[in-house]
Amino acid sequence: MTTAATATTAIGRSRRQRDDLRLVAHQVGYEQLSFWRNPQSAIFTFIFPVLFVAIMGALFGSVGKSSYFGGLSALQYYVPTIGALSVLGSCYGQLAVALAARRQAGILKRIRATPLPAWAYFTGLLAHCVLVSVIDIALIVAVGRLYGVPFPSHWLAIAITLVLGAASFCALGVAVASVISNAEAAPAVAQLVLFPLLFISGTYLPIHSALLNRVSGWLPVRPFNEALTGPFARHTGADWRQLAVLAAWGGVGAIVAIRRFRWDPRSD
Amino acid sequence: MPNALEVAGLRKSYGSVQAVRDIGFTVRSGEIVALLGPNGAGKTTTLEILEGFRTRDAGVARVLGLDPADRSSARELRERTGLVLQDIAVEPYLTVRETIARSAGYYRAPRRVADVIDLVGLAGLERRKVRTLSGGQKRRLDLALGLIGDPELLYLDEPTTGFDPAARRDAWALVRELRAAGTTILLTTHDMEEAQALADRVVVVAAGAVVAEGRPDELGGRNAELVRIAFMLPRGYAPSDLPLTAEFADGRFVVQTNSPTQALHELTAWAMQRGTVLAGLTVDRPSLEDVYLRLTTDRALPSAPERSIR
Repeated sequence: MTTAATATTAIGRSRRQRDDLRLVAHQVGYEQLSFWRNPQSAIFTFIFPVLFVAIMGALFGSVGKSSYFGGLSALQYYVPTIGALSVLGSCYGQLAVALAARRQAGILKRIRATPLPAWAYFTGLLAHCVLVSVIDIALIVAVGRLYGVPFPSHWLAIAITLVLGAASFCALGVAVASVISNAEAAPAVAQLVLFPLLFISGTYLPIHSALLNRVSGWLPVRPFNEALTGPFARHTGADWRQLAVLAAWGGVGAIVAIRRFRWDPRSD
Repeated sequence: MPNALEVAGLRKSYGSVQAVRDIGFTVRSGEIVALLGPNGAGKTTTLEILEGFRTRDAGVARVLGLDPADRSSARELRERTGLVLQDIAVEPYLTVRETIARSAGYYRAPRRVADVIDLVGLAGLERRKVRTLSGGQKRRLDLALGLIGDPELLYLDEPTTGFDPAARRDAWALVRELRAAGTTILLTTHDMEEAQALADRVVVVAAGAVVAEGRPDELGGRNAELVRIAFMLPRGYAPSDLPLTAEFADGRFVVQTNSPTQALHELTAWAMQRGTVLAGLTVDRPSLEDVYLRLTTDRALPSAPERSIR
Protein backbone atom coordinates (compact mmCIF):
# COMPACT_ATOMS: atom_id res chain seq x y z
CA MET A 1 0.00 0.00 0.00
CA THR A 2 2.68 2.43 1.09
CA THR A 3 4.94 1.20 -1.69
CA ALA A 4 2.15 1.65 -4.23
CA ALA A 5 1.46 5.16 -2.97
CA THR A 6 5.15 6.02 -3.14
CA ALA A 7 5.34 4.64 -6.67
CA THR A 8 2.30 6.70 -7.70
CA THR A 9 3.85 9.83 -6.23
CA ALA A 10 7.10 9.08 -8.04
CA ILE A 11 5.24 8.63 -11.34
CA GLY A 12 3.31 11.84 -10.69
CA ARG A 13 6.54 13.68 -9.98
CA SER A 14 8.31 12.44 -13.08
CA ARG A 15 5.26 13.30 -15.18
CA ARG A 16 5.19 16.79 -13.70
CA GLN A 17 8.89 17.20 -14.44
CA ARG A 18 8.32 16.11 -18.02
CA ASP A 19 5.36 18.52 -18.30
CA ASP A 20 7.48 21.33 -16.88
CA LEU A 21 10.21 20.61 -19.37
CA ARG A 22 7.70 20.58 -22.21
CA LEU A 23 6.28 23.88 -20.91
CA VAL A 24 9.72 25.53 -20.89
CA ALA A 25 10.50 24.23 -24.39
CA HIS A 26 7.13 25.53 -25.59
CA GLN A 27 7.77 28.96 -24.05
CA VAL A 28 11.35 29.20 -25.40
CA GLY A 29 10.06 28.29 -28.87
CA TYR A 30 7.39 30.98 -28.93
CA GLU A 31 9.72 33.57 -27.39
CA GLN A 32 12.11 32.87 -30.29
CA LEU A 33 9.31 33.04 -32.84
CA SER A 34 8.15 36.45 -31.55
CA PHE A 35 11.72 37.76 -31.66
CA TRP A 36 12.69 36.57 -35.14
CA ARG A 37 9.36 37.67 -36.61
CA ASN A 38 9.99 41.26 -35.56
CA PRO A 39 12.44 42.52 -38.19
CA GLN A 40 13.50 45.58 -36.19
CA SER A 41 14.46 43.81 -33.00
CA ALA A 42 16.26 41.05 -34.89
CA ILE A 43 18.31 43.41 -37.09
CA PHE A 44 19.19 46.06 -34.50
CA THR A 45 20.23 43.53 -31.89
CA PHE A 46 22.88 42.13 -34.22
CA ILE A 47 23.85 45.08 -36.39
CA PHE A 48 24.92 47.47 -33.63
CA PRO A 49 27.76 45.43 -32.07
CA VAL A 50 29.02 44.25 -35.47
CA LEU A 51 29.09 47.82 -36.75
CA PHE A 52 30.89 48.95 -33.62
CA VAL A 53 33.68 46.40 -33.96
CA ALA A 54 33.95 47.11 -37.69
CA ILE A 55 34.39 50.84 -36.99
CA MET A 56 36.92 50.18 -34.22
CA GLY A 57 38.75 47.89 -36.61
CA ALA A 58 38.84 50.59 -39.28
CA LEU A 59 40.12 53.16 -36.76
CA PHE A 60 42.58 51.08 -34.75
CA GLY A 61 43.11 47.98 -36.91
CA SER A 62 46.74 48.87 -37.49
CA VAL A 63 47.52 49.72 -33.83
CA GLY A 64 49.61 46.84 -32.57
CA LYS A 65 50.20 45.73 -28.99
CA SER A 66 50.60 48.77 -26.75
CA SER A 67 50.72 49.57 -23.04
CA TYR A 68 47.72 51.90 -23.59
CA PHE A 69 45.58 48.83 -24.29
CA GLY A 70 47.17 46.88 -21.41
CA GLY A 71 49.67 45.08 -23.59
CA LEU A 72 47.06 44.02 -26.13
CA SER A 73 46.40 45.23 -29.66
CA ALA A 74 43.44 47.60 -30.00
CA LEU A 75 41.22 44.98 -31.58
CA GLN A 76 42.23 42.35 -29.04
CA TYR A 77 41.02 44.83 -26.45
CA TYR A 78 37.77 45.72 -28.21
CA VAL A 79 36.54 42.26 -29.26
CA PRO A 80 35.88 41.14 -25.66
CA THR A 81 34.65 44.54 -24.39
CA ILE A 82 32.26 45.00 -27.31
CA GLY A 83 31.27 41.36 -26.86
CA ALA A 84 30.42 42.23 -23.25
CA LEU A 85 28.54 45.30 -24.47
CA SER A 86 26.43 43.20 -26.82
CA VAL A 87 25.55 40.82 -23.96
CA LEU A 88 24.58 43.83 -21.85
CA GLY A 89 22.38 45.09 -24.66
CA SER A 90 20.66 41.80 -25.37
CA CYS A 91 20.18 40.87 -21.71
CA TYR A 92 20.00 43.94 -19.50
CA GLY A 93 18.87 46.49 -22.08
CA GLN A 94 16.45 44.27 -23.93
CA LEU A 95 14.73 42.89 -20.83
CA ALA A 96 14.44 46.24 -19.02
CA VAL A 97 12.73 47.80 -22.04
CA ALA A 98 10.72 44.81 -23.30
CA LEU A 99 9.31 43.84 -19.91
CA ALA A 100 8.28 47.41 -19.07
CA ALA A 101 6.58 47.66 -22.47
CA ARG A 102 4.89 44.28 -22.13
CA ARG A 103 3.63 45.18 -18.69
CA GLN A 104 2.24 48.50 -19.86
CA ALA A 105 0.52 46.86 -22.85
CA GLY A 106 -1.16 44.33 -20.54
CA ILE A 107 0.69 41.38 -22.09
CA LEU A 108 2.24 40.36 -18.76
CA LYS A 109 -1.13 40.47 -17.05
CA ARG A 110 -2.53 38.22 -19.74
CA ILE A 111 0.33 35.74 -19.25
CA ARG A 112 -0.21 35.85 -15.49
CA ALA A 113 -3.85 34.83 -16.00
CA THR A 114 -2.74 31.53 -17.56
CA PRO A 115 -1.34 28.57 -15.60
CA LEU A 116 2.17 29.24 -16.99
CA PRO A 117 4.36 29.47 -13.86
CA ALA A 118 6.49 32.61 -13.46
CA TRP A 119 9.71 30.58 -13.44
CA ALA A 120 8.86 29.04 -16.80
CA TYR A 121 8.19 32.46 -18.28
CA PHE A 122 11.53 33.81 -17.06
CA THR A 123 13.40 30.68 -18.09
CA GLY A 124 12.04 31.25 -21.59
CA LEU A 125 13.33 34.81 -21.55
CA LEU A 126 16.74 33.82 -20.14
CA ALA A 127 17.21 31.09 -22.76
CA HIS A 128 16.29 33.61 -25.42
CA CYS A 129 18.79 36.20 -24.11
CA VAL A 130 21.60 33.64 -23.86
CA LEU A 131 20.96 32.54 -27.43
CA VAL A 132 21.02 36.10 -28.73
CA SER A 133 24.23 36.76 -26.74
CA VAL A 134 25.90 33.69 -28.24
CA ILE A 135 25.03 34.81 -31.77
CA ASP A 136 26.27 38.34 -31.00
CA ILE A 137 29.61 37.07 -29.62
CA ALA A 138 30.07 34.74 -32.59
CA LEU A 139 29.49 37.63 -35.02
CA ILE A 140 31.92 39.87 -33.14
CA VAL A 141 34.61 37.18 -33.03
CA ALA A 142 34.13 36.65 -36.76
CA VAL A 143 34.49 40.37 -37.53
CA GLY A 144 37.54 40.53 -35.23
CA ARG A 145 39.08 37.64 -37.16
CA LEU A 146 38.73 39.68 -40.35
CA TYR A 147 40.95 42.30 -38.69
CA GLY A 148 43.46 39.64 -37.69
CA VAL A 149 42.43 38.99 -34.08
CA PRO A 150 43.18 35.30 -33.44
CA PHE A 151 40.33 32.99 -32.35
CA PRO A 152 40.20 32.54 -28.58
CA SER A 153 41.41 29.25 -27.17
CA HIS A 154 39.55 28.84 -23.86
CA TRP A 155 36.03 28.15 -25.10
CA LEU A 156 34.83 26.53 -21.87
CA ALA A 157 35.89 29.56 -19.84
CA ILE A 158 34.13 31.80 -22.36
CA ALA A 159 30.97 29.67 -22.18
CA ILE A 160 30.91 29.76 -18.36
CA THR A 161 31.54 33.52 -18.32
CA LEU A 162 28.93 34.12 -20.99
CA VAL A 163 26.15 32.15 -19.31
CA LEU A 164 26.89 33.62 -15.88
CA GLY A 165 27.13 37.13 -17.32
CA ALA A 166 23.94 36.74 -19.33
CA ALA A 167 22.05 35.42 -16.30
CA SER A 168 23.34 38.24 -14.07
CA PHE A 169 22.53 40.98 -16.53
CA CYS A 170 19.12 39.43 -17.21
CA ALA A 171 18.42 39.57 -13.47
CA LEU A 172 19.54 43.21 -13.38
CA GLY A 173 17.36 43.97 -16.43
CA VAL A 174 14.30 42.46 -14.77
CA ALA A 175 15.16 44.39 -11.60
CA VAL A 176 15.22 47.69 -13.52
CA ALA A 177 11.94 46.79 -15.26
CA SER A 178 10.48 46.09 -11.81
CA VAL A 179 11.53 49.44 -10.42
CA ILE A 180 10.43 51.50 -13.45
CA SER A 181 6.67 51.85 -13.71
CA ASN A 182 6.51 53.79 -16.96
CA ALA A 183 7.38 52.04 -20.23
CA GLU A 184 8.21 55.32 -22.01
CA ALA A 185 10.87 56.05 -19.39
CA ALA A 186 12.37 52.55 -19.52
CA PRO A 187 14.88 53.01 -22.38
CA ALA A 188 16.11 56.33 -20.95
CA VAL A 189 16.50 55.01 -17.41
CA ALA A 190 18.19 51.83 -18.59
CA GLN A 191 20.70 53.84 -20.67
CA LEU A 192 21.22 56.47 -17.99
CA VAL A 193 22.40 53.81 -15.58
CA LEU A 194 24.42 51.95 -18.18
CA PHE A 195 26.28 54.65 -20.08
CA PRO A 196 28.53 56.07 -17.30
CA LEU A 197 29.09 52.55 -16.07
CA LEU A 198 30.30 51.45 -19.51
CA PHE A 199 32.61 54.44 -19.67
CA ILE A 200 34.35 53.99 -16.33
CA SER A 201 34.54 50.23 -16.93
CA GLY A 202 36.74 50.73 -20.00
CA THR A 203 34.27 49.47 -22.57
CA TYR A 204 34.93 52.35 -24.98
CA LEU A 205 38.44 53.41 -23.90
CA PRO A 206 40.98 51.92 -21.50
CA ILE A 207 40.88 53.70 -18.14
CA HIS A 208 44.20 54.49 -16.50
CA SER A 209 42.92 55.89 -13.22
CA ALA A 210 43.57 53.53 -10.31
CA LEU A 211 40.69 55.03 -8.34
CA LEU A 212 38.15 54.62 -11.16
CA ASN A 213 39.36 51.12 -11.80
CA ARG A 214 38.98 50.19 -8.14
CA VAL A 215 35.45 51.62 -8.03
CA SER A 216 34.34 50.04 -11.31
CA GLY A 217 35.92 46.75 -10.23
CA TRP A 218 33.14 46.41 -7.67
CA LEU A 219 30.38 47.33 -10.16
CA PRO A 220 29.02 44.75 -12.60
CA VAL A 221 30.46 45.82 -15.98
CA ARG A 222 34.24 45.80 -15.46
CA PRO A 223 34.32 42.32 -13.90
CA PHE A 224 32.49 41.02 -16.95
CA ASN A 225 34.87 42.84 -19.33
CA GLU A 226 37.87 41.42 -17.47
CA ALA A 227 36.40 37.92 -17.24
CA LEU A 228 35.89 37.90 -21.01
CA THR A 229 39.22 39.55 -21.89
CA GLY A 230 41.18 36.80 -20.08
CA PRO A 231 40.04 33.81 -22.13
CA PHE A 232 39.60 35.91 -25.28
CA ALA A 233 42.97 37.67 -25.43
CA ARG A 234 45.27 36.58 -22.61
CA HIS A 235 44.87 32.78 -22.91
CA THR A 236 43.79 32.45 -19.31
CA GLY A 237 40.91 30.37 -17.95
CA ALA A 238 37.78 31.43 -16.09
CA ASP A 239 38.46 34.38 -13.79
CA TRP A 240 36.58 33.22 -10.67
CA ARG A 241 37.17 36.39 -8.65
CA GLN A 242 35.55 38.58 -11.33
CA LEU A 243 32.80 36.02 -11.86
CA ALA A 244 32.04 36.08 -8.13
CA VAL A 245 31.54 39.88 -8.22
CA LEU A 246 29.31 39.48 -11.29
CA ALA A 247 27.27 36.70 -9.66
CA ALA A 248 26.82 38.83 -6.54
CA TRP A 249 25.31 41.61 -8.68
CA GLY A 250 23.13 39.04 -10.41
CA GLY A 251 21.96 37.90 -6.99
CA VAL A 252 21.11 41.47 -5.96
CA GLY A 253 19.21 41.91 -9.24
CA ALA A 254 17.32 38.67 -8.68
CA ILE A 255 16.29 39.67 -5.16
CA VAL A 256 15.01 43.07 -6.32
CA ALA A 257 13.25 41.40 -9.28
CA ILE A 258 11.54 38.77 -7.13
CA ARG A 259 10.44 41.30 -4.53
CA ARG A 260 9.34 44.10 -6.80
CA PHE A 261 8.28 42.54 -10.11
CA ARG A 262 4.71 43.39 -11.12
CA TRP A 263 2.62 41.77 -13.85
CA ASP A 264 -0.11 44.33 -13.67
CA PRO A 265 0.07 47.79 -15.25
CA ARG A 266 -1.57 49.28 -12.18
CA SER A 267 0.32 49.47 -8.93
CA ASP A 268 -1.32 47.93 -5.86
CA MET B 1 -25.64 23.13 -7.30
CA PRO B 2 -22.48 24.60 -5.70
CA ASN B 3 -21.59 28.25 -6.08
CA ALA B 4 -18.85 29.14 -8.56
CA LEU B 5 -18.22 32.46 -6.82
CA GLU B 6 -18.85 33.55 -3.26
CA VAL B 7 -17.96 37.07 -2.23
CA ALA B 8 -18.85 38.69 1.10
CA GLY B 9 -17.83 41.87 2.86
CA LEU B 10 -15.04 42.55 0.35
CA ARG B 11 -12.93 45.62 1.13
CA LYS B 12 -9.94 47.19 -0.61
CA SER B 13 -8.27 50.60 -0.25
CA TYR B 14 -5.57 52.27 -2.29
CA GLY B 15 -3.89 54.58 0.18
CA SER B 16 -6.67 56.74 1.60
CA VAL B 17 -9.10 55.88 -1.22
CA GLN B 18 -11.59 53.12 -0.51
CA ALA B 19 -12.17 51.51 -3.90
CA VAL B 20 -14.25 48.66 -2.49
CA ARG B 21 -16.16 49.24 0.77
CA ASP B 22 -18.54 46.32 1.04
CA ILE B 23 -19.16 44.06 -1.92
CA GLY B 24 -20.84 40.70 -1.63
CA PHE B 25 -22.63 38.44 -4.11
CA THR B 26 -22.73 34.84 -5.24
CA VAL B 27 -22.71 33.27 -8.68
CA ARG B 28 -24.10 29.76 -9.02
CA SER B 29 -22.45 27.26 -11.33
CA GLY B 30 -23.66 27.68 -14.89
CA GLU B 31 -25.07 31.14 -14.27
CA ILE B 32 -24.34 34.39 -16.14
CA VAL B 33 -24.10 37.33 -13.76
CA ALA B 34 -23.48 40.92 -14.88
CA LEU B 35 -21.62 43.29 -12.60
CA LEU B 36 -22.90 46.79 -13.39
CA GLY B 37 -21.72 50.13 -12.10
CA PRO B 38 -20.25 53.46 -13.14
CA ASN B 39 -16.52 53.90 -13.71
CA GLY B 40 -14.75 53.95 -10.38
CA ALA B 41 -17.50 52.00 -8.61
CA GLY B 42 -15.11 49.17 -7.75
CA LYS B 43 -15.96 46.65 -10.47
CA THR B 44 -12.45 46.28 -11.84
CA THR B 45 -10.89 46.07 -8.38
CA THR B 46 -13.40 43.37 -7.43
CA LEU B 47 -12.65 41.41 -10.59
CA GLU B 48 -8.90 41.74 -10.01
CA ILE B 49 -9.25 40.44 -6.46
CA LEU B 50 -11.22 37.42 -7.74
CA GLU B 51 -8.68 36.86 -10.54
CA GLY B 52 -5.85 36.85 -7.99
CA PHE B 53 -4.14 40.01 -9.28
CA ARG B 54 -4.84 41.96 -6.11
CA THR B 55 -5.03 41.19 -2.43
CA ARG B 56 -8.12 42.14 -0.41
CA ASP B 57 -8.01 44.11 2.81
CA ALA B 58 -10.95 42.23 4.31
CA GLY B 59 -13.83 39.95 3.42
CA VAL B 60 -14.41 36.53 1.93
CA ALA B 61 -13.69 35.48 -1.66
CA ARG B 62 -14.11 31.90 -2.90
CA VAL B 63 -13.60 31.11 -6.56
CA LEU B 64 -14.52 27.53 -7.57
CA GLY B 65 -14.05 26.68 -3.90
CA LEU B 66 -10.54 28.16 -3.77
CA ASP B 67 -9.19 31.33 -2.21
CA PRO B 68 -7.81 33.55 -5.01
CA ALA B 69 -5.26 35.07 -2.59
CA ASP B 70 -3.78 31.64 -1.79
CA ARG B 71 -0.63 31.35 -3.85
CA SER B 72 -0.41 27.57 -3.46
CA SER B 73 -3.64 27.03 -5.40
CA ALA B 74 -3.10 29.88 -7.89
CA ARG B 75 -1.96 27.64 -10.75
CA GLU B 76 -4.87 25.25 -10.20
CA LEU B 77 -7.30 28.16 -10.26
CA ARG B 78 -5.80 29.55 -13.48
CA GLU B 79 -6.24 26.14 -15.11
CA ARG B 80 -9.96 26.42 -14.44
CA THR B 81 -10.69 30.09 -15.11
CA GLY B 82 -10.54 32.18 -18.28
CA LEU B 83 -10.08 35.89 -18.57
CA VAL B 84 -11.01 38.39 -21.27
CA LEU B 85 -9.71 41.83 -20.37
CA GLN B 86 -10.59 45.26 -21.73
CA ASP B 87 -7.23 46.00 -23.33
CA ILE B 88 -6.14 44.25 -26.46
CA ALA B 89 -2.81 42.72 -25.47
CA VAL B 90 -1.43 40.41 -28.11
CA GLU B 91 2.01 40.13 -29.72
CA PRO B 92 1.80 41.81 -33.13
CA TYR B 93 4.11 39.57 -35.14
CA LEU B 94 2.58 36.16 -34.45
CA THR B 95 -0.25 34.75 -36.55
CA VAL B 96 -3.73 34.11 -35.17
CA ARG B 97 -3.10 30.38 -34.99
CA GLU B 98 0.31 30.77 -33.33
CA THR B 99 -1.06 33.17 -30.73
CA ILE B 100 -3.81 30.73 -29.74
CA ALA B 101 -1.52 27.67 -29.92
CA ARG B 102 0.97 29.37 -27.61
CA SER B 103 -1.70 29.88 -24.95
CA ALA B 104 -3.05 26.36 -25.51
CA GLY B 105 0.38 25.00 -24.50
CA TYR B 106 0.03 26.58 -21.05
CA TYR B 107 -2.99 24.47 -20.08
CA ARG B 108 -3.31 20.88 -18.93
CA ALA B 109 -6.38 20.12 -21.05
CA PRO B 110 -6.98 22.91 -23.57
CA ARG B 111 -9.69 23.08 -26.19
CA ARG B 112 -8.56 22.33 -29.74
CA VAL B 113 -7.06 25.38 -31.41
CA ALA B 114 -9.12 24.91 -34.59
CA ASP B 115 -12.34 24.60 -32.56
CA VAL B 116 -11.69 27.86 -30.73
CA ILE B 117 -10.87 29.65 -33.99
CA ASP B 118 -14.26 28.53 -35.34
CA LEU B 119 -16.04 29.36 -32.09
CA VAL B 120 -14.95 33.02 -32.09
CA GLY B 121 -15.45 33.45 -35.83
CA LEU B 122 -11.82 33.81 -36.93
CA ALA B 123 -11.92 30.92 -39.40
CA GLY B 124 -10.04 31.83 -42.57
CA LEU B 125 -7.76 34.27 -40.72
CA GLU B 126 -5.52 31.62 -39.07
CA ARG B 127 -2.40 32.66 -40.97
CA ARG B 128 -2.88 36.40 -40.66
CA LYS B 129 -0.39 38.35 -38.53
CA VAL B 130 -2.06 39.79 -35.47
CA ARG B 131 -0.99 43.34 -36.34
CA THR B 132 -3.01 43.22 -39.59
CA LEU B 133 -6.28 42.37 -37.79
CA SER B 134 -9.01 44.95 -37.26
CA GLY B 135 -9.90 46.07 -33.73
CA GLY B 136 -12.95 43.80 -33.63
CA GLN B 137 -10.92 40.82 -34.87
CA LYS B 138 -8.31 41.43 -32.16
CA ARG B 139 -11.06 41.42 -29.55
CA ARG B 140 -12.21 38.06 -30.90
CA LEU B 141 -8.66 36.80 -30.62
CA ASP B 142 -8.67 38.00 -27.02
CA LEU B 143 -11.87 36.05 -26.46
CA ALA B 144 -10.23 32.99 -28.02
CA LEU B 145 -7.36 33.28 -25.50
CA GLY B 146 -9.90 33.39 -22.67
CA LEU B 147 -11.59 30.23 -23.95
CA ILE B 148 -8.63 28.10 -25.01
CA GLY B 149 -8.13 26.60 -21.54
CA ASP B 150 -11.74 25.32 -21.53
CA PRO B 151 -12.53 27.25 -18.32
CA GLU B 152 -15.30 26.40 -15.87
CA LEU B 153 -15.54 30.09 -15.01
CA LEU B 154 -15.03 32.92 -17.48
CA TYR B 155 -14.56 36.61 -16.64
CA LEU B 156 -15.63 38.93 -19.43
CA ASP B 157 -14.64 42.56 -18.83
CA GLU B 158 -16.76 44.69 -21.20
CA PRO B 159 -16.52 42.05 -23.93
CA THR B 160 -18.35 43.87 -26.73
CA THR B 161 -17.07 47.44 -26.30
CA GLY B 162 -16.17 48.67 -29.78
CA PHE B 163 -18.05 45.91 -31.62
CA ASP B 164 -20.35 46.77 -34.49
CA PRO B 165 -23.98 45.65 -33.98
CA ALA B 166 -23.58 42.44 -36.00
CA ALA B 167 -20.38 41.45 -34.17
CA ARG B 168 -22.11 42.20 -30.87
CA ARG B 169 -24.98 39.84 -31.76
CA ASP B 170 -22.43 37.15 -32.69
CA ALA B 171 -20.65 37.62 -29.37
CA TRP B 172 -23.94 37.33 -27.52
CA ALA B 173 -24.75 34.10 -29.38
CA LEU B 174 -21.32 32.78 -28.39
CA VAL B 175 -21.87 33.65 -24.72
CA ARG B 176 -25.22 31.82 -24.78
CA GLU B 177 -23.52 28.84 -26.42
CA LEU B 178 -20.94 28.78 -23.63
CA ARG B 179 -23.64 28.91 -21.00
CA ALA B 180 -25.46 26.05 -22.69
CA ALA B 181 -22.19 24.08 -22.40
CA GLY B 182 -22.15 24.81 -18.65
CA THR B 183 -19.65 27.65 -18.39
CA THR B 184 -20.20 30.10 -15.54
CA ILE B 185 -19.71 33.71 -16.61
CA LEU B 186 -19.11 36.89 -14.65
CA LEU B 187 -19.56 39.83 -16.97
CA THR B 188 -19.02 43.56 -16.61
CA THR B 189 -20.63 45.94 -19.05
CA HIS B 190 -21.88 49.48 -19.48
CA ASP B 191 -24.37 48.29 -22.06
CA MET B 192 -27.73 47.75 -20.36
CA GLU B 193 -29.13 46.03 -23.43
CA GLU B 194 -26.29 43.54 -23.13
CA ALA B 195 -26.99 42.90 -19.45
CA GLN B 196 -30.68 42.48 -20.24
CA ALA B 197 -29.94 40.11 -23.12
CA LEU B 198 -27.35 37.89 -21.42
CA ALA B 199 -27.49 38.00 -17.66
CA ASP B 200 -29.51 35.68 -15.44
CA ARG B 201 -28.90 38.15 -12.64
CA VAL B 202 -27.33 41.59 -12.34
CA VAL B 203 -25.42 43.03 -9.39
CA VAL B 204 -25.28 46.83 -9.32
CA VAL B 205 -22.35 48.43 -7.51
CA ALA B 206 -21.87 52.11 -6.76
CA ALA B 207 -19.18 53.81 -4.68
CA GLY B 208 -17.66 50.46 -3.70
CA ALA B 209 -20.80 48.74 -2.43
CA VAL B 210 -23.62 46.61 -3.84
CA VAL B 211 -26.77 48.75 -4.16
CA ALA B 212 -29.09 46.26 -5.85
CA GLU B 213 -29.18 42.72 -7.08
CA GLY B 214 -31.71 40.69 -8.98
CA ARG B 215 -33.01 39.41 -12.32
CA PRO B 216 -32.69 42.08 -15.01
CA ASP B 217 -36.47 42.36 -15.40
CA GLU B 218 -37.07 42.60 -11.65
CA LEU B 219 -34.19 44.82 -10.64
CA GLY B 220 -35.09 47.61 -8.21
CA GLY B 221 -38.76 46.56 -8.25
CA ARG B 222 -38.85 47.28 -11.96
CA ASN B 223 -41.67 44.79 -12.60
CA ALA B 224 -43.83 46.37 -9.87
CA GLU B 225 -43.44 49.93 -11.11
CA LEU B 226 -46.14 52.01 -12.73
CA VAL B 227 -46.54 51.81 -16.48
CA ARG B 228 -46.01 55.06 -18.36
CA ILE B 229 -48.40 55.99 -21.19
CA ALA B 230 -47.06 58.97 -23.15
CA PHE B 231 -48.63 60.91 -26.03
CA MET B 232 -49.04 64.41 -27.50
CA LEU B 233 -52.10 66.38 -26.56
CA PRO B 234 -54.32 66.90 -29.66
CA ARG B 235 -54.52 70.49 -30.88
CA GLY B 236 -57.32 72.50 -29.33
CA TYR B 237 -57.57 70.54 -26.07
CA ALA B 238 -56.33 71.39 -22.59
CA PRO B 239 -54.81 68.83 -20.18
CA SER B 240 -57.87 69.22 -17.99
CA ASP B 241 -60.02 67.82 -20.85
CA LEU B 242 -58.29 64.42 -20.55
CA PRO B 243 -60.15 61.65 -18.69
CA LEU B 244 -57.02 60.89 -16.57
CA THR B 245 -54.44 63.01 -14.78
CA ALA B 246 -51.43 63.59 -17.00
CA GLU B 247 -48.10 65.31 -16.39
CA PHE B 248 -46.08 67.13 -18.98
CA ALA B 249 -42.57 65.72 -19.46
CA ASP B 250 -40.07 65.85 -22.34
CA GLY B 251 -42.56 67.34 -24.83
CA ARG B 252 -45.29 64.80 -24.16
CA PHE B 253 -48.03 64.17 -21.62
CA VAL B 254 -47.48 61.15 -19.40
CA VAL B 255 -50.05 59.10 -17.51
CA GLN B 256 -48.63 56.77 -14.85
CA THR B 257 -50.85 53.83 -13.95
CA ASN B 258 -50.89 50.37 -12.43
CA SER B 259 -53.80 49.27 -14.67
CA PRO B 260 -52.53 50.06 -18.16
CA THR B 261 -55.27 48.18 -20.07
CA GLN B 262 -58.05 50.23 -18.45
CA ALA B 263 -56.16 53.55 -18.75
CA LEU B 264 -55.28 52.97 -22.39
CA HIS B 265 -58.90 52.15 -23.17
CA GLU B 266 -60.14 55.35 -21.53
CA LEU B 267 -57.57 57.50 -23.33
CA THR B 268 -58.08 56.05 -26.81
CA ALA B 269 -61.90 56.08 -26.41
CA TRP B 270 -61.68 59.76 -25.45
CA ALA B 271 -59.68 60.52 -28.61
CA MET B 272 -61.86 58.44 -30.92
CA GLN B 273 -65.08 60.12 -29.65
CA ARG B 274 -63.55 63.47 -30.55
CA GLY B 275 -62.38 62.29 -33.96
CA THR B 276 -58.73 62.96 -33.14
CA VAL B 277 -55.57 60.93 -32.51
CA LEU B 278 -52.96 60.62 -29.73
CA ALA B 279 -49.82 61.27 -31.73
CA GLY B 280 -46.55 59.64 -30.59
CA LEU B 281 -48.38 57.18 -28.32
CA THR B 282 -46.06 54.82 -26.36
CA VAL B 283 -46.55 52.44 -23.46
CA ASP B 284 -43.52 51.37 -21.46
CA ARG B 285 -42.09 50.40 -18.10
CA PRO B 286 -38.88 51.97 -16.82
CA SER B 287 -35.99 50.36 -18.71
CA LEU B 288 -33.08 48.61 -17.02
CA GLU B 289 -31.13 51.73 -17.84
CA ASP B 290 -33.65 53.98 -16.03
CA VAL B 291 -33.45 51.77 -12.95
CA TYR B 292 -29.66 51.59 -13.18
CA LEU B 293 -29.29 55.36 -13.43
CA ARG B 294 -31.63 55.89 -10.48
CA LEU B 295 -29.64 53.37 -8.40
CA THR B 296 -26.20 54.71 -9.25
CA THR B 297 -26.62 58.49 -9.42
CA ASP B 298 -26.65 60.50 -6.17
CA ARG B 299 -23.76 58.34 -5.03
CA ALA B 300 -20.87 60.64 -5.74
CA LEU B 301 -17.62 58.78 -5.95
CA PRO B 302 -14.49 59.89 -4.18
CA SER B 303 -12.97 56.73 -5.61
CA ALA B 304 -9.86 56.09 -7.71
CA PRO B 305 -10.10 56.18 -11.51
CA GLU B 306 -10.72 52.74 -13.01
CA ARG B 307 -7.41 52.48 -14.78
CA SER B 308 -4.61 54.85 -14.06
CA ILE B 309 -1.45 53.56 -15.58
CA ARG B 310 1.41 55.15 -13.74
